[in-house]
Amino acid sequence: MSGQPQSRGDDRISRRDFLKLLAAAGTVLTFTPFVDWGKFLPNPSGSTTKKSKVELPDGSQANVKTFKVNHSEAIIYPISDDPALNKEAFRTWQFIRLPVELGGDKNEASAFRAFSMVCLHLWCLWKYWPGEGRKRGECPCHGSMYDPATGKAFAGPAALQSPPSNVLPKLDLEVDKDGYLWILPPNWSVNGNGIVGYGRFIA
Amino acid sequence: MAASLHKENSLVRLFRWIYAGVDRTIFMGLKFTFPTRFVSPLGFLGMLTFVLFIILGISGALLMLWYEPILDRAWDSVENINDTIPYGFHLRNIHYHASNAMVMMAILHMYYQYFSGRYKIRNEILWVTGILIGVLTILEAFTGYDIIFSERAELAISIAASLTNSIPILGPDMRDAFFGSGFHDFVLRFYAFHVFLLPIALIGLMTVHFPRFLVFDVPMVMAITGAIMITGGVFPVDMGLKFDPNVPPGITVPEWYLTGLYAFLRSQYDKFVTGVAWPGLFIFTLLIIPFIDRYKKFSWKDRPLITAIGITSIAQIVVTTYWGFYIDPDRTKSLLDRLVIDPIFLYSVMILLVPLSFGFTYLMIKLAKNAEANAKRQPQKKESVITLPEKWIYFVLIALVGFQIYLNIAAYYALLNGMKNISLFIIGIIMLVFAGMFHMYRHGRSIANNPPPPSIPQTERIRALQEKKRALLESTNGKPRLEASDTSIPTIKSNGILDKVLNVARKNKSSFEKMWNRD
Repeated sequence: MSGQPQSRGDDRISRRDFLKLLAAAGTVLTFTPFVDWGKFLPNPSGSTTKKSKVELPDGSQANVKTFKVNHSEAIIYPISDDPALNKEAFRTWQFIRLPVELGGDKNEASAFRAFSMVCLHLWCLWKYWPGEGRKRGECPCHGSMYDPATGKAFAGPAALQSPPSNVLPKLDLEVDKDGYLWILPPNWSVNGNGIVGYGRFIA
Repeated sequence: MAASLHKENSLVRLFRWIYAGVDRTIFMGLKFTFPTRFVSPLGFLGMLTFVLFIILGISGALLMLWYEPILDRAWDSVENINDTIPYGFHLRNIHYHASNAMVMMAILHMYYQYFSGRYKIRNEILWVTGILIGVLTILEAFTGYDIIFSERAELAISIAASLTNSIPILGPDMRDAFFGSGFHDFVLRFYAFHVFLLPIALIGLMTVHFPRFLVFDVPMVMAITGAIMITGGVFPVDMGLKFDPNVPPGITVPEWYLTGLYAFLRSQYDKFVTGVAWPGLFIFTLLIIPFIDRYKKFSWKDRPLITAIGITSIAQIVVTTYWGFYIDPDRTKSLLDRLVIDPIFLYSVMILLVPLSFGFTYLMIKLAKNAEANAKRQPQKKESVITLPEKWIYFVLIALVGFQIYLNIAAYYALLNGMKNISLFIIGIIMLVFAGMFHMYRHGRSIANNPPPPSIPQTERIRALQEKKRALLESTNGKPRLEASDTSIPTIKSNGILDKVLNVARKNKSSFEKMWNRD
């Protein structure tokens, strides 16, 4: 480019090709910012980097010292200011303290589970049944049954679905020094916390 | 009387002026034909599909005024439209049944173009855009019945979402992008797709898809509109049950155009293969078929392999569609046992249908060719002629107007008495009567335009016309003759003049066919 218009060596690109290259680079750069605009499409409400409280239906925060063993409550996550959105099936989770035989008497996070209540079969809402001989999640629609320790379906139509659609999405829990329970920021992917209504891979 | 039918009034002149002005617009290449006699609708099924699209657009735009795409209000707003809003029931039923009619009409249109071989040789773009329009039409209908958010809609959404998720690599991101997360997003997004994005895409593709020759047959359009309303009156679409996640849903099957897919899903084989790959393969095959079809000829009889493939696809669609509907009625069995279709059984039947369809096609082609040869050997049958005296046209028209007055009153009283479906049914009959009236009107006009010579006695007149007819037929020698099976130019029972008109039309048609068949 430095004042040598005649030189057209094989190893050099011509003025015309260079112009084309610049035009192509300009075009690419002009439209590059819009690639990231694809983030407009997914709903960001579920992604957060902050811990949030395990808020029980009575409004209090769950605590390892007071929450009964072999007991469950329906919690909402993420909680919205809009009451209509809080009725959303996809935001309801079954918060379970495991029975004693599964280690539910320990005052630590391992005694607790939070699974999406949306049944993996046809999206009815299942719940945990603590009665003797049951102690499992049961879906009222078509009788899918879930293991409360892992969230894996072991009976009914959901159990017949191939992975990841046979394991419920879960929330990771943490206990602070006062015994209060917190929900860790989730990773909504089949290899992380799972996708609500679709499932999760377990090792 | 005849003169008054012929005379141009200022309104007609205005229309002609507008019609001429269209010449300066993008539509200048279009040739719009309003048939002046009965022609078979097979040739303009595409236009009928488009008319249904317009009906859906209008009824849908009106429904938008009351529908609320909100999680806990969608179903209630539809119920409000159906039960409370005046004529909401009518519009909802027209919208629903027109959607089914549009899918059906599009399928018929596709198969007619397929078997008549019109999809190839420079018509590939029309065919490919047509297939894309067909796929979008089904998506449009699918998103429509989902946003009611009944139990069945929830089932359909859940299947659609899990199918999208099952696509390798991109699936979960696609689900996030198209569906959002949760039912709230699903309803709102399906609504956006249904009322805006898909129709816009459809209109865009349609502008490419439109051929230059268009036929707008008023009686047929009105008859279809009437048929939709009558269907709505006889089989009004129900509300379904409002989706409640805590209530076990009953057994529901999707709309008929998706039960074929549903049958494969119910075989419990891998979701991606049965729900995405199979239909994807089917659509892909349709897209490339004009490039595979190397036959030089057009008629289905001369393209045995392609015809056999088409017949196979029809057989498989019919069988799977029915199978998808069928659910074991034995209530003592578990739900799963009733729903699951044995994959080995299903796939063996699918495979068995291939040789059966090929054999059937072979048989049909043999029979058709035999019939053709026979028809050539035997002298042409004389067409029977019904002569409707001119004044009877007026009597029939007056009677039909009177009937319409009666029907109008009946429809209104039915509505006043709360019998919405009866009122819709009667309005459908009014549409059909209008179709009949229009046909009588154009029939009368064609007579007025070609008044019969009055002096010749009846018998001589017929003989003279038959002479002319023979002369006309002989003049078409060397051109493809009208086949016995060809129904697109029907043998109308009419008076002699119309007969003559028809013969001219036949002549035109054969030269038209020649134009089509040129390489």
